[in-house]
Amino acid sequence: MGFPVSTFSMDFPHLHLLLNHFPIIGTMVGAGLLLTSLFVKTEDVGRSSLIVFVVMALLTIPAFITGAAAQEKMVADPSVSNVLIQRHEGAAELAVWFMEITGGFAVVALWQSVRRASPARWNTSAILVFSLVTVGLMARTGNTGGEIRHLEIRSAQERTAADAMMAYFEPSPAKFTRLMIANKWWWAFMMDLHFIGLVLLIGTIGMLNLRVLGFAKQLPISPLNNLVPWGIAGFGINVLTGLLAFIGMPTFYTHDIAFVLKIGAILLAVTTLGLFYLTSAFRDCEAVGPGQDAPLRAKFIAGTSLVLWFAVIVLGRYIQPLQDSIAR
Amino acid sequence: MAVPLFLNTFEQSGLSTWLRESPSVFGFYFILLFHTIGLALVVGPNAAIDLRLLGVATNIPLPPLRSWFNLIWLGLAINVTSGIFLVLAYPSKAFTNPDFYIKLTLIGFAVWTLRKMKRQVFDDSSLSEAGMLARGKMLAVWSLVLWAGVITAGRLLAYTCSYLVYGVPC
Repeated sequence: MGFPVSTFSMDFPHLHLLLNHFPIIGTMVGAGLLLTSLFVKTEDVGRSSLIVFVVMALLTIPAFITGAAAQEKMVADPSVSNVLIQRHEGAAELAVWFMEITGGFAVVALWQSVRRASPARWNTSAILVFSLVTVGLMARTGNTGGEIRHLEIRSAQERTAADAMMAYFEPSPAKFTRLMIANKWWWAFMMDLHFIGLVLLIGTIGMLNLRVLGFAKQLPISPLNNLVPWGIAGFGINVLTGLLAFIGMPTFYTHDIAFVLKIGAILLAVTTLGLFYLTSAFRDCEAVGPGQDAPLRAKFIAGTSLVLWFAVIVLGRYIQPLQDSIAR
Repeated sequence: MAVPLFLNTFEQSGLSTWLRESPSVFGFYFILLFHTIGLALVVGPNAAIDLRLLGVATNIPLPPLRSWFNLIWLGLAINVTSGIFLVLAYPSKAFTNPDFYIKLTLIGFAVWTLRKMKRQVFDDSSLSEAGMLARGKMLAVWSLVLWAGVITAGRLLAYTCSYLVYGVPC
């Protein structure tokens, strides 16, 4: 099927170098804030650490994607060792899951704090454990990434026992990719879940946004927030299935402008959700009863959010016809 | 199974050919986009209503949720229309795939459940919340199961076809 495709040139190595420091340093900052809040017992510091973890979990996604895209340009250079790149990618493919799990737990704790409940103890412990493991895995990812170019830090063997242990658990990128595409029914199952996640997201967060904008006004706004965790769960399903699909066919996606824009739109859409709950928009809306209008600021956020989630669906749908829209 | 010749006739029509082969962004994938948006409008609010009936977010008052059904009908209209165009683009592909008939059957049951829920639970203003829940719970379970089935059957269409167009195997 032909498509009028203009060619986009995108410098993924630059983007990767820009983004890859955030998950490494960010998780360290987040873990530092979390530990501080546990000792000094200040809620605001604890909350800041949660926000940092969520933002890092989100930024890890484009860092990971641009890394896979940068790899393609790097291997063209004969002076670059493919073995070192594979090692770095394997380290990233382990770190990314721990980062996303940390972010997931942080979202749960943030939700509890927005609802003015103190985060559950088990959750704080989980965030602490997972974030500290993530700090280690991200450091290892950064280190193996640096070794691709920096001769002065390169070593032939795993340097420490910790390195050797992490290396033991790291997947082989080529095998991981093969595993994702070996069985078409597994792929179909992932795509099925991706659509179910979409439906959960639109049915809950989308409906809340519509009510804030004035649709179905007889509903009070505040109780609709109780549906939102289901939408966030849907988003979680889609991050998981989306990342797995990306690992299955990385070069299919990195040469697709619709995919790149989709990732951008997702990050912006999540930002609007964060703005809604972390600014006074949420508190203003809690008082909005049946038949009442939401304040203008909340409407602005809700409208932007709807447009962005809509854009995510549009761009997702155009991934297939726009393959190869970014030059190889 | 022999593929009926009239499917070929459909496929040769100008509209069908254009839908399949047009390089325009407003061709096949535009229709498919509407089908996805329709899906979100039908199943999204419907799933949220189901969850409410099954005990999630119990502080949402039930009667005003009635207005969400308008959105669901809109989504359904979008999907019947876009669905017809999708079948027009690839009639042999659709009609030779058993999964296509499974999907249509599941849609039939899901829409029947939806109408039943609207009439028996939301249109009866004499019902108390407890009464609405008593009537709605089983319908909500069926609704979730059926729509999940519809989405799965729909997704599987992409992986199960025998013919792409008349005489051309997938």
